[in-house]
Amino acid sequence: MEFDKKSLLKLGKLARISISDDKLNNLSKDLNSILEFVDQLKEIKTDQVDPTSNSLNQKLEVRDDKVDTKNSAEDILENAPEKEMDFFIVPKVIE
Amino acid sequence: MKDSYTLKSLAVLLENNKISSKELTSEYLKNIENGKELNCYNTISQEKALNDAKKSDERRKSQNLRSKYDGIPIGIKDLFCTKGVTTTASSKILSNFVPNYESTVTQNCDDAGLISLGKLNCDEFAMGSTNKTSFFGSVKNPWKSLNSDNDLVPGGSSGGSAAAVSGDLCVASLGTDTGGSIRQPASFTGTVGLKPSYGRVSRWGIVAFASSLDQAGPITKTVEDAAILLDIISGHDEKDSTSSVNPKENYYENLNSDIKGMKIGIPKEFRSDKLPASTQKSWDECANLLKTNGAEIVDISLPHTMSALPAYYIIAPAEASSNLARYDGVRYGLRVKGNDLIDMYEKTRSEGFGDEVKRRILIGTYVLSSGYYDAYYIKAQKIRSLIKSDYVEAFKKVDAILTPSTPSTAFEIANEPSDPVQNYLNDIFTVPVNLAGLPGISIPFANDENNLPIGLQLITNSFEEQKLLNVAKNIEETINYSETPEKWWLK
Repeated sequence: MEFDKKSLLKLGKLARISISDDKLNNLSKDLNSILEFVDQLKEIKTDQVDPTSNSLNQKLEVRDDKVDTKNSAEDILENAPEKEMDFFIVPKVIE
Repeated sequence: MKDSYTLKSLAVLLENNKISSKELTSEYLKNIENGKELNCYNTISQEKALNDAKKSDERRKSQNLRSKYDGIPIGIKDLFCTKGVTTTASSKILSNFVPNYESTVTQNCDDAGLISLGKLNCDEFAMGSTNKTSFFGSVKNPWKSLNSDNDLVPGGSSGGSAAAVSGDLCVASLGTDTGGSIRQPASFTGTVGLKPSYGRVSRWGIVAFASSLDQAGPITKTVEDAAILLDIISGHDEKDSTSSVNPKENYYENLNSDIKGMKIGIPKEFRSDKLPASTQKSWDECANLLKTNGAEIVDISLPHTMSALPAYYIIAPAEASSNLARYDGVRYGLRVKGNDLIDMYEKTRSEGFGDEVKRRILIGTYVLSSGYYDAYYIKAQKIRSLIKSDYVEAFKKVDAILTPSTPSTAFEIANEPSDPVQNYLNDIFTVPVNLAGLPGISIPFANDENNLPIGLQLITNSFEEQKLLNVAKNIEETINYSETPEKWWLK
């Protein structure tokens, strides 16, 4: 497929990135170029191949269920752009 | 070996009281100040570094050292979270972020008594091969082409880390490598850059780009220093479930440059008519040198090499789009006010991310979206299996693989191609190593006709860092590369 204005704006919505009109042309050119580049993989037969998500062949270890006191509310809120008591403040979601 | 400082030589100077940590730290801070034009550092920790140096000198006096390297100052890529020190990933979206925790790798450095001079510039979120995507501007390569005064890229994404070591703005630095981000800038700056096996070094506290590919590693002046720094930063970390439980080795202590009887593979798929003649010549010369030193040179095939880069540009953006979803203006970092919550997310991310990061998030979102997931993401993961099995087969026949590190030497900042795909080709020789999870090292071999460093890459099997360093040491000892850039920024 090719990225046109409509599909690019939809993608921006999915990724939560607003795309201004003056950027649309260049961006669709760039993304189409990347897509064309990765599309060469279609020619390689992979029917019999399992996907690799991680190169490390290691069993995930189960940690002991221990209580620790890291990550206090105060620590977590330290860098918050807006906070009140122990809460992050965001624009109103429910009317 | 270069006659300037190394971790090894500084440890001796400190031990013999020829220099104090405070003097040494002051000297480097002065070099940083004088080298501001290179734009290597995003943050300079002047006060903290001098304070830590003073404490190190006190430890030395009371014979209470944390390690032999206690008191040596280094530089840290601005991708490692450092407690109380701004950590930006060279992005506007994190430009005000001060972590209240320390990454495992930088904690390990602190535990060894190393001192941080500050945070080194890099491509935004480590996405780039020129350092030009940084919100804080390009880093300039200390090297310049003969007969030209134009500024060159240092490579990327760890461009600041490599340029700082090359220009003596620190003796060694920490970088990260997702598709070549340590080895490519090392190659462009005449330094040694080591990407360890996936899992050898903890990723905890490193700003995540592509979690199945990211690894931290050292950029240094010598192979010995790379071994020293790897000893300090590596090992299992319970905070990173993908960090390996394989016991770490004493890489520096066990360095042994004897390569007699070893088999070194030359992969035919890395050969190309487009490779500069000087790079091809260095590659051939290095193979001959290894042969003279007792190794057997074996022609090998890694059939899926050319599929690695397109597979990488599906997998890395996919993981990045997921990892970077956290930057939404709610909990930390930049917030741009919006009419409602969604509008705030969209405005924050649109203003906070640069163009390359946005491109990768959008591509990543696309290849993970319904209808395209199997055709792109799963397909790329299958290609990844094929690439991995190429290397598994190769390492049945050889101990190490020798290739060029990059398809060119450093180029002018002004000449960066405008097509993103052309830029991606910088990492064509390094990306397969990340996809297969292997360790790789770039070492300077010679300078080209423009007096710019040419790097060669060695690759070994997973967790064979010792063998990797041993072969690299053999080459280093034999060629004795001693070129250093002229310090034009001091004029």
